[in-house]
Amino acid sequence: MINHWVKIEKDKVVVDGKQIEIELSESESLLNTIYKNKIGDYPKFYKMDPLCKLGFVASELLLDAEGRREEEWGEKRGVVLFNASSSLADDRNYQKTIEGDDVFPSPSLFVYTLPNVVTGEICIRNHYYGESNFMVLRGLDVEKMSQILNATFADTCTESLVTGWVDCQSEKEYSALMFIVERGSFDEAELSKL
Amino acid sequence: MEELILKLKKEIIEVLNLEDIKPEDIDDNAPLFGEGLALDSIDALELIVLMEKNYGIKIKDPNEGKEIFKSVTVMAEYIDKHRTK
Repeated sequence: MINHWVKIEKDKVVVDGKQIEIELSESESLLNTIYKNKIGDYPKFYKMDPLCKLGFVASELLLDAEGRREEEWGEKRGVVLFNASSSLADDRNYQKTIEGDDVFPSPSLFVYTLPNVVTGEICIRNHYYGESNFMVLRGLDVEKMSQILNATFADTCTESLVTGWVDCQSEKEYSALMFIVERGSFDEAELSKL
Repeated sequence: MEELILKLKKEIIEVLNLEDIKPEDIDDNAPLFGEGLALDSIDALELIVLMEKNYGIKIKDPNEGKEIFKSVTVMAEYIDKHRTK
């Protein structure tokens, strides 16, 4: 059973089926605005690439909806995410720093040229020590995602997963559908309805 | 020197994406790493790129970098002495 879920599109944020009011301005992106209004205590956010910002913001809204708990999840909770664009948004930005005659590759852009940095950031922020995985699929494939989630629960320690689709092609083209599933309660049909 | 320090602060804020920090928030003599701005190892690499790109200074020895990045003042003094552009 999916208890909590978050959907973020370029001009819309929905948490557990309820649209969140975000006052947008021309000078600030949606993700930066959400960070400033709803999160605000993690300055590293500003160093993240667009994919990481998307995953981070989605996870923060999701975990707020779930309710933060005192006891840490540790190994019992994993983070498994999916997309089709891998780290394309950051790859493009990094490529600009290695083209032409005056080449100065940017270390801070280079570190984000892997999509699984997102799962790492979420695990670090929330002290999750369980499975951490980012799978790149051809497209949003509910059947394939379900297979992978069920396989992840086949180990002896995973009780809960922060999971979903986090895809970012550029600062302006992205979508996220992130949710929490518990061991033994995941229903593929439910995911198709979100 | 004051002009260079201000320029350097603006460049550091830009390349390290230090959102919400203004040049006047950075103490000229405060350590850049460990405390002060609490920069990390990736930020150090980015500062090395900044030194080469903007001032033509190549830092090859990591120990040298440790000394140069002690504070904005130390960085500015080093740039003043060694810059090629």
